[in-house]
Order: sequence, then structure tokens, then C-alpha cells
Amino acid sequence: MLKNSYSTNGLKYSFGFLVLCLIMGIFTTACKSKKPTSSDYVSIPEAKMKDSIASLSAFEKVYSVLMHPRCMNCHPQGDIPLQGDDSHVHNMLPQRGPDGKGLLTMKCTNCHGSKGVPGDATPPGNPMWHLPPADMKMVFQGRSPRALALQLVNPDLNGHKNMADLRLHAEDTLVKSGWQMGGDRTLPSLTYEEFKEAWYAWIDNGAFAPSK
Amino acid sequence: MARYTINVNGESKQVDVDSDTPILWVLRDNLHLLGTKYGCGIAHCGVCTIHLDGDAVRSCAYPISAVGDKKIVTIEGLSENGDHPVQKAWLEHDVPQCGYCQAGQIMTASSLLDQNPNPTDDEIRRAMNGNICRCATYTRINRAIKSAAKDL
Amino acid sequence: MTKVKTHLNRRSFLKLSAAGGAGLMLQFSWFSALAKENPKLEAAYDLNGFIKIDSNGMVTIASPNPEIGQNVKTSMPMIVAEELDVNWKHVKVVQAPLNTGIFTRQIAGGSQSINQSWDALRMAGATARHMLVEAAATAWGVSASSITVNESVISHQASGKSAGFGEMAEAASKLQIPKEVEVKNIKDFKIIRHSQYNVDGPDIVTGKAVFGLDVYSENMVFASIVHPPAFGVKLKSFDASEALAMEGISDVFPITTYPEDFERNYFDINAFPELIVITGDSTWRIMKAKKTIKAEWEPFEPYTIKVKGFGGGKPNDQTVPSGIENTEKQYAAMIQTSQANPKQVRKDGDPDKAFSQAAKVIERTYTAPYLAHSPLEPLNFYANVTADKAELIGPIQTPEYMEQSVAQRLGMSLEQIDIQMTRIGGGFGRKLFGHYLVEAAVISQKIKKPVKLFYTREDDMTFGAYRPMYHAYYRAGLDADNNLIAFHVKAGGIPESPLYANRFPAGAVSNYLAESWTIESNITTAAFRAPRSNFMGAVEQAFLDEVAELAGKDPIDFRLELFDKAIKNPVGERNDYDAKRYAGVLKLIKEKANWGTAKPGLERGVAAYYCHNSYVANVVDLRMENDKPIIEKVYCATDCGIVVNPIAASNMVEGGSVDGIGHALYSMLSIKDGVPQQRNYNDYQLIRNNDAPWDVETHFVESDVHPTGLGEPPFAPAIGALANALYKATGKRYYHQPFMVDIEERYLKKETSV
Repeated sequence: MLKNSYSTNGLKYSFGFLVLCLIMGIFTTACKSKKPTSSDYVSIPEAKMKDSIASLSAFEKVYSVLMHPRCMNCHPQGDIPLQGDDSHVHNMLPQRGPDGKGLLTMKCTNCHGSKGVPGDATPPGNPMWHLPPADMKMVFQGRSPRALALQLVNPDLNGHKNMADLRLHAEDTLVKSGWQMGGDRTLPSLTYEEFKEAWYAWIDNGAFAPSK
Repeated sequence: MARYTINVNGESKQVDVDSDTPILWVLRDNLHLLGTKYGCGIAHCGVCTIHLDGDAVRSCAYPISAVGDKKIVTIEGLSENGDHPVQKAWLEHDVPQCGYCQAGQIMTASSLLDQNPNPTDDEIRRAMNGNICRCATYTRINRAIKSAAKDL
Repeated sequence: MTKVKTHLNRRSFLKLSAAGGAGLMLQFSWFSALAKENPKLEAAYDLNGFIKIDSNGMVTIASPNPEIGQNVKTSMPMIVAEELDVNWKHVKVVQAPLNTGIFTRQIAGGSQSINQSWDALRMAGATARHMLVEAAATAWGVSASSITVNESVISHQASGKSAGFGEMAEAASKLQIPKEVEVKNIKDFKIIRHSQYNVDGPDIVTGKAVFGLDVYSENMVFASIVHPPAFGVKLKSFDASEALAMEGISDVFPITTYPEDFERNYFDINAFPELIVITGDSTWRIMKAKKTIKAEWEPFEPYTIKVKGFGGGKPNDQTVPSGIENTEKQYAAMIQTSQANPKQVRKDGDPDKAFSQAAKVIERTYTAPYLAHSPLEPLNFYANVTADKAELIGPIQTPEYMEQSVAQRLGMSLEQIDIQMTRIGGGFGRKLFGHYLVEAAVISQKIKKPVKLFYTREDDMTFGAYRPMYHAYYRAGLDADNNLIAFHVKAGGIPESPLYANRFPAGAVSNYLAESWTIESNITTAAFRAPRSNFMGAVEQAFLDEVAELAGKDPIDFRLELFDKAIKNPVGERNDYDAKRYAGVLKLIKEKANWGTAKPGLERGVAAYYCHNSYVANVVDLRMENDKPIIEKVYCATDCGIVVNPIAASNMVEGGSVDGIGHALYSMLSIKDGVPQQRNYNDYQLIRNNDAPWDVETHFVESDVHPTGLGEPPFAPAIGALANALYKATGKRYYHQPFMVDIEERYLKKETSV
């Protein structure tokens, strides 16, 4: 059977969490002192305290959010965003483009306005819509917890971001809107407040990467 | 209700509408510019495509409150006399069947050629993928875009 | 010379002439561009209801049938113009209103507009020409037979006199319409068979063309509906207090479109005869407010409706079953019923014996899901019903039928009903079923205001009237020499069987059996582009491809062998096709597609089908990329008799082929707990530009045969050719539509394998 890049059931816009994710991608902190190694974890020197158990436990929660369709759908392996709770390839096949904002008449903003209109399946609006750029794809789809954690703290893979920005990012109002995309889109299992707490806990306790 | 002043086809228009009203319904119900069509209301079919500062935007999913001073151009304002190269090419290739989607197709095609005056076949197919033609005139649409590109 | 009889007389178009337009009664002073269809032609003379000529010689021709994209608004007036001998540049076309006194069969359906109106249109042109000639003969004192007409000029060679149409129009309009007129020899056609651009093209590309949804009038109220969310339930109660408190909302009330004792005509299909209506001052406010209406729904008991047959007459009782449907169970029910007791529809020879003696037997099963017609213009209608008149304007494929229904429902006479046709933004059969016109009229009558009823896309897609679900079982037997000696087709569906028992290969096989079955449902279905053929043509052609392969024969040669038999030695009394014309399109496609020499890297499949009076053969060339077909080329060979307007005919064949391919690959409407699972284009997939064939090349058989339609015939064979090409490219046969959804995995696994 051919695999369908369109599927027919339950497809809804799922850009809901894009903002959270792309902002996260942009501001994800850098690990300045050393590059990731093959050891079990990567420590963040700037971190105020180091508690690998607390950090890893927090990252488990963070990971569940980052891998949720609201978030992962705009961090695809390929160059077309995903869509819906089943993370199918986005209808209409919009492409990433060099800056992550799409191409020609199929840019994100051709359908995702700076504000959306209410409705079950209307495209959520936001002035910032885009995928990670082509030279820094920040892929979440298919990443193991370890791979994702290492990617988040690797300046070569995270957009050259520092720790302060990473932490700050959770406070961003755009992140909050990830939980307010409307329609019948499912939300991550964590509330925004819980996510923020986990995000801080992961970073503040050393930004450890899981072993797997 | 709120009052908005918007620029449509080069003219300043005042409308009193709910702030979440999509541009589409302002154009149709308030300004009676009926060339821009309703098809799905969720930015999935493209029949409502307009130009917003030159970009081919789905007017059904774009609230009036987000327009600001951006310039709206509808199919009625694309050219003075219906003689935009894309419109001429559409006639030359006798593209329309039912015709309902064609204003949206033309608005997307003209924005495409503004940005890339010499698109490849693949770029055309990709760029036009947000505009459904239920009569499936796609091959003629693409041929007309190629022709229009030559005439630009 | 061919002569045709006229049915026109003065009285038949008095209703029109009185209104002042060339068949147009619209008299409103709206901002709506509909006024374009209602030109003020004070100085023009009405010759016969179809044709008005002004003193400058401009000819206005009323196009009688609904324009739904099949291009009749250009091609029908072309036929009139041909016989009138007017220069096409002097012609202006307007849309006629419904007027059964003048026009015949004002219906867009069955690909019959040209086929069935050909003679009437020629007659309309020829009578007007005849009258102009008579007027000139009287004016010049010469015999009519010595006068010639050519491209808008009336001439008398001997005297050197000549005149334009405008000079003779007034005198001609006072003459009696002849009872019989001569029409042209088809060899002399100057307009017909020559491509003419879509008369509405300039309006369409500038956004000026008027569709139903574009009808706006002063003091108009907007209205929409809330219908039951599931098939099998009806309205119990509702609370609209929140909606009524919202700004711009006027009223919320229930209506009954078709009361239970209402004598419905064939096109009054409606799953939800009771609705909640919401009215207000803008589309958007209604869209928002209708979501706040809290309604309670309850399952209904089976009930009976009265439905008249296609041609009218006494209504029959039909039972609407109760119950809540699920797609999964419907597939299971089709498999089960197919194996139960089908009804024999045709039998030639001794199929049982032939199969038992066959050297090879192959059997295959095919299915197809519900489809939503989903024209891009959703259902809508404008109605202004007053005490003595109902003015109804909008997109309708069956104005003749709906005039009767709406008169009956409003308690008015036919003379009080005025139906105006806008361009139709796609229909594909859905807008044959005009409940929405009746609803608009009922709402307007109730609120005593002009009203525009609109359906949202979600309303349109979840309202029912789908293409039925279908299932077909095929079996073929070959003898030791690989001749087809036995053929068995058993087809059914929910709620109708798609079987055409007398179509090919009936007549070409000595032992033939055709059987049929149906399953009832409360999910309504409706004619969908090439009804029944859209499935049977596709699957029969896929099956024959397998049979040809089993026989070790080239698929075209295999079919041609069968047609040869049907030509020389047909089996049975009644075979609903012309085997020579069928073979003709196959031979043409073989030549034009260079069959046998596919382009490197592409795989090809072939198919041919006959339905709706025309023959179409296709070759599809494709390759696979990321598990999806890239269709680089579709070749089409068509025999529709005389090709009236080649550029438009080609457009129809191109679009019809791609439409067939698109639905077969992507589209499906499924049901869970009675609820349609697809509500809009985010989950209901239609073919898009990037997946469409890159090129469609069309060829037509040169023919002087009576012209037939093209709206439907190209749909099915393109699917057959697609399925056969997919097999070549993947090594896998495709039995279940849509091909890009794993129907087997999703719906068929748990049940008996099909």
C-alpha cells in the first residue's frame, strides 16, 4: 500500500505550539564551555546548582511538551511542516524556505495572519510564524530525549543562543499562546505553568541530557 | 463594533464591523466587492485570496483588526481594465470552467510572478498548491502562468 | 436539407417579451452585477424568445441552461448563432431565466444540454434567420429564396441590395414564426466546430461574474441553518438565547422544508427536513452566533416520505430507516450483502457451465467510499417571497423541477414563481438537489423579507447527499486459448447499485451474468458527476486490465478483440453502446499516445469507457516518488460526435479526467456514529495543483454524428487508466478508492477478506 502523505482523518491545524517551539529554538541557550560529549550528560557551567536527578526528571516533562504535535509539527525532519494531532505532512505542502518563513505565495503568513480568526480549524495567527531556518533546522521530529537535549544546548545546533535567553524564553507571551490556539487542537499534557516550571528546573539544575 | 479605515484598491474606506471580522466578509458584506469568494473559511481553498501589501493572503482567515495600514488589493483592483498579464493569459488559455476559484487563482498567480517573474514548472505547482480548483483546470492555470511570465 | 419543426409561438414567449429583456425578467436596481444579465434593450426586437436584435444589428442570445462550468453559456448560443448566420462578434450572450414555454429542458445534468437541445437551438437560430430573410424579401420586393445571409449581412445578389440584421429586425419581429425551417448542412458550419472563448471569461477574470453567493439586494437579511450533527437524529429542542443576545442577530426559529406528507419530486432529496434557521445582518455574525445555539437531538423512528419518479406522476412511498451508521460497519455490510442474494439483471448463455469449464478464472472485488460533491461555491440561494410572487435567484441545476417543488411548498402557482439562474460555482450533481432553494423561500415567506440563505463549508459537507458507497465483484473465465468465455459482474451499494448490466463487456462475451443488490441507509446520496459510471467505469477497466494480463494480451488489443466480436457477432438483444465508436477511441488513443513506446522512467495504463452518450479513452503516464504518483501526462481520446466548441470541449475533458484521478487518489467521506468525519478541506482531500497531472493532451474523433455531452464521460476512464498505470509502477493492484488511503487496513481487515 502506498503511504499517503495526506491522511484523511482528524486533521486540524496544529501550528498551535509552533510559536513556543520556534522561540525556544531561537533562544535555546548555549553551552559555552564545552561541546556535547558522548558522556551521559552535559552540564551547563552557568547553572546555579547541579542536580542531575532533578534536571533529568524535569527534562522528561519538557520533552513531552517539545515532542507534542503543537510543538514538533514545526520542527519537522523534512522541509514541510507537519499538521494535526497525527502530525501528517501539512496540507498544501508549504516549504521551509531559506529563512523558515516559506516560499513565494506559500509563506506562513499567506494563511497565518498576525492574528487569527475564531473557528475550529482556522489557522492560528501570530506575527512570528515560521519554521527554523534552513541553515539551523532544529529538528525535533524523531529525536530521542538525549539527542534533543544535546541539540538544545549545542550552540552549533540551537541558533547560537545563551543561557539567559533560554531561561527568559519561557516567560515570553508568545510561548503562552501555544496553549491558546483554539479549535479542538489537543494540548500538551502539561499546563503552561507546569511547563515553565519544568523548563526552569531542567536548566537551573544543570541542563542534563538523559542517557537515551 | 469598531470603526476601521482600510485602503482597498487604492481607496480609503471606513467600515464599522466586529473586530474579528475576516477581511473577506468586510469586502463582501460591507463594501460589496464580490469578486473575492468564500469557499472554506479556514484558508484551505484559496478562493478568497487577496493581496495584502502584495502578498497573496487568505482573506477568510485574516481579521480586519490586523490589517492596519496594509494595502488591500482585490481582483477588482488588480488592473484598470482587466488587462493584467495574468488576466490576459487566463483569457488566452480559456482557463475557467465554473469560474468560482479563478479570482483567487489569479491573485495568487500575480503575486507569484511579482516575486519571481520566471518561475519553473515545479515552482508554479508549489506556489499554486493552496488554491483548489474543483473543476481541476490546473493544467490550464499553469500554462497561463507560463504565458503571463513571458509577457511580463 | 434537414428540416426541423418549431415548438415556438408568440404566446410562448409573451411572458419574456413583456419584461423587456432577451428572455430576462430581472428588474431590480441593485448594485449587483446581475444587472449585466438584464440589459435594457428598449430598441431591440424579440424574434423568438431566444434572440433579440437591436437596430444596430447587435444580437442578444439568451442561453437557456444553467451554466455550471460546462460552458453551455457559450456553446449553446454558438449553435443558435450558427443557424442565424450572425457574425459571432455581433453576439452578446445573456443567461435566460426559467421559462418552460420557450426553452426545452433547462437542466444542467446528465451531460445532456447539447445532446438534447441541439435541435431546439438550431431551430431558434434558423427561425430567426428565416424571419429576417422574409422581412428583407418583402422590403425589397424579391423572393425569399433569392436572398442569402452571411455573417450578419442579408444580400440579394441580382439587385445588389444588402442590409444588416438591425435594419430588418423590427419587420422580422412582427412576422409569424414558421412552423418548420431548414437548418444548415453541417459542412457549412462557420461558428460550430471553431473554438470560441468563454463569453463570461472577461467577467470571471475581473471578479465581475455573478454567482449565487454574489446576489445581494437592499434590505436583504442573511440567514443560515443548523442541521442535525448526525444522520439518524432529528431536532428535539434548542436554546438560542446566547445567539439572540449577540449583536446583529435578528431571529432563530425552526423550519420544516419538506413536511412529511409533502409530495417530493426526484430532486427533493434531503436528510434533514427540519432545521434551525438563524437570521441576522451579516454573514460573519451569523457564522459566530450559530455556534452558540444549544440544540438537543434525538434518534428518529423510521418514517415514510412520498417521492415522485423522475418524470413526475404519482408519488411512491419510501421509508427512511432509523439507526446510526458507521463506515466500518457499512463496509462489512457491503461484503456480507454481496455474498447473499443478489438480483439477477442479465444473463447470456450459461455462465455457470462456462466458468466450470474455463482454463483460468480470475475474481476481484472493488470498493469506493462516500464522496462529498463539495463544489467550491457552497449551497446558497436568494429568495424574496411576497404575497403574490416568489423571486428566487441562485445556483440551481434543476430550475424546472424546483419551480414545482417551491410552488407546492409555498402554496403558490407556477406563474408566481420566478427563478433566475446565476453562474453556478460548481455542482457536480449536488446542485441538482434544490432543498436549499426551498429553504430560502420558506424563510423569506416566514420573515416577509428578502433573504440570502448561505451554507458554511461545514454545513455543505455534512448535510448529506453524497456519492453512494459502492462495491463490485468481478469474475472472468478464459479458455485454453485465452479467449474470454465467461464474465460475471455483481455490483451493489449504499443505497443504490451502480450496475449497468447492458454495458460492455455485455454483448462481447457469450456467457455473461450481471447481478445487483442494495443496502438501505438514512445517509442521503445524490447523483455525482457520472453517477454509477464514476465507479463502474473505473473498476471494470481495472479488472479488464488484469484479465488481459492473465490472458497474456496487450490491454488495448484485448479490448479491441472483444469489440470486434461485439461488432460482428453481438451477444444478447440489448447492448447500450456502439462497439465501433468504442473501438474508435481506443484506436485513436493507441496512435496519439504512441502506445507501446512509453517515455523512459514512466509507466502507463490505458482504459476506455462509454457513458452519457460519449466515448472516452485514456492513457496515464506516471512514476512514483515518495510513495506518491507523479502523473506527468494524461492522454484523452474522445468521441462526442460533432465537437461544438473545441477549446471548451478540451477543457471539459482535461478537467473531467483530472477530477476523476483526484477523487480516486485522495477523496473520501467517512461516518462515525452517524457523524460525517470530514467537515472541510483540512480533512476532506481534493486534488491540488502540485498533485495534478502535469499535462493533459486531448484528441477528438472527427465525426458528423449528433453531438453529445462531455461533463461526465471523461471522469471514469481516467481512473481506470490511473489504476492500471499504478500497477505498472508499483506491482500492486489498487482495488479500493481512494488509492492513497489504506482502506484495507482501516476498514476491511477484521472482516472476511474481499
